[in-house]
Amino acid sequence: MMCILEAKNVYKVYLDQKKTKGRLVLNNVSLKVDEGEFICLIGPSGCGKTTMLNLMAGFETPTRGEILYRGNQIKKPSWERGVVFQEYSLLPWMNVIENVKYGLDGKKLSDKEKDQIAIDCLTMVGLSEFAEQRPNLLSGGMKQRVAIARTLAMDPDIMLMDEPFSSLDEQTRKRLDNEVYDIWLKKQKTVIFVTHSVDEALLLGTRIVMFSQSPGEIIKEWKITIDHSKRDLATSEFTLLKQEILSSLQTCSCADNYTNNSQKIINIEG
Amino acid sequence: MGNQNREDRILSSLLESRDNNEHVIDVPKDRVYILITNIVTFLIGILIVLLIWQGFSVLYNEYIGSSLISFPTPLEAFDRLFELLSGSNMFGLTIYDHVFASLKRWTIGYLISAVIGVLTGLILGYCTRLYSVGIIPVHILQMIPGLAWIPIAMLIFGLGDESAIFIIAMTAMAPIIINVSSGIRKAPPVIMRVANMVGSSRLSIFSNILIPYASLDIINGLRIGLANGWRVLIAAEMVVGVAVGLGFSISQATYVVDYVSAFVCIMVICAIGLFVEKVVFVSIEKYIRRKLGLEGGA
Repeated sequence: MMCILEAKNVYKVYLDQKKTKGRLVLNNVSLKVDEGEFICLIGPSGCGKTTMLNLMAGFETPTRGEILYRGNQIKKPSWERGVVFQEYSLLPWMNVIENVKYGLDGKKLSDKEKDQIAIDCLTMVGLSEFAEQRPNLLSGGMKQRVAIARTLAMDPDIMLMDEPFSSLDEQTRKRLDNEVYDIWLKKQKTVIFVTHSVDEALLLGTRIVMFSQSPGEIIKEWKITIDHSKRDLATSEFTLLKQEILSSLQTCSCADNYTNNSQKIINIEG
Repeated sequence: MGNQNREDRILSSLLESRDNNEHVIDVPKDRVYILITNIVTFLIGILIVLLIWQGFSVLYNEYIGSSLISFPTPLEAFDRLFELLSGSNMFGLTIYDHVFASLKRWTIGYLISAVIGVLTGLILGYCTRLYSVGIIPVHILQMIPGLAWIPIAMLIFGLGDESAIFIIAMTAMAPIIINVSSGIRKAPPVIMRVANMVGSSRLSIFSNILIPYASLDIINGLRIGLANGWRVLIAAEMVVGVAVGLGFSISQATYVVDYVSAFVCIMVICAIGLFVEKVVFVSIEKYIRRKLGLEGGA
């Protein structure tokens, strides 16, 4: 397998707003991503998953260490690494198809070709009949599907998804998870998917990478070789795996949070 | 009251269609109703002004005023207005000449400052590093009262039109720059990331993202600039030695104790200002809001 993305001993420091405190967000993170993998990054919130993704996209640069995309250091964002953002990122004054076409803004294609690509991508996410609608008339799930279609239109080499469905309801999220999986299967793309849902990671990932509580470090990895269509979270192997992941999440995650919780219980009983 | 009635009517038609298990119906947009409400509200506002004016002039003329000159009443002013509108003379020229001269100075001065202001605002808003330095002179500029430019205008341009235009341009510029640049800076970071990821050119970033996001602020800046320019124009015309214009007419009227004419000029000034604000800018803003997808459907 070809290595498509490699993080080598990456450190990242953030300054707080007053610039009086520096915080270590990523602590010596190394990660190798092979072509065609579906990697799920999980970990407690605030552990640096999103930072890792931003570094891989090229929105930010590592404080120390380097990230290589096909052997070259990443210096700025590029359409080769398409990001689906957590927050809604559509342009309100463009209708759905124009938003998807905007993904092709940096490419020299004729308007006709752009239209064709945009329609194909919209069809792939099942929104072709909403092409003329403005985003403000769409539900949250539909907005994220348009954002996915826009990223697909760019025809990126690797898709970076930053908790794209975390603000959606359970039903919609499940449906969109399936769509992402279908796209991964059809387009043979590499996907890096940040999530805080263990179920989502178990259903989608070929590899699950777990980050520790801040400062973020990779503390564990699981490879899942079972075919996606045969995955059933009710089977014993998956429940066991889920137990294992959840318990490692708990032991690593913030001790202070944990004590806070137990204190609360005591208060209620008293 | 009107709203209550309207809701009640909608409820009745809803209850009628209840047999078909409907709970949503289309409501015809009551354009005439909305228009009439708007006009009536506007007229009431104007009426309040006229009433205060009338009340004060009566009070003054009957009880306070000791001089021989009476305080003009609205009726006198309107009489004089119609007289002037039908072409009679005011300080050697018709009122149309005065209005036209003022409008011309205003337009030229304003256009100059709009072009410079918008361009400067776009650049300052886009370059974050430049902004922190560049906005300081703009804030200083904003602190200078319009008429304080008179000595500088006189020094550079002498008496006449150019001085008035210069003063207008300098006064209108600061709010335009400030609003445009702060509007540009309002584009959400995530959208800028999308643009960088997609590989948009700088031109495309401006036309597809920054300017649309800033458009309401741009309009607001242009609006404040226009109003500032208008107000200072009238004041400037009183002092920079032009021989025609509404401001000039007011100062002349004061010298020759023709207060009725002065009031007519003030009325005309207000009417022009109101027209620009209520008709021109409100419709531009509405159009932009619709275009931006902030209001209304597809």
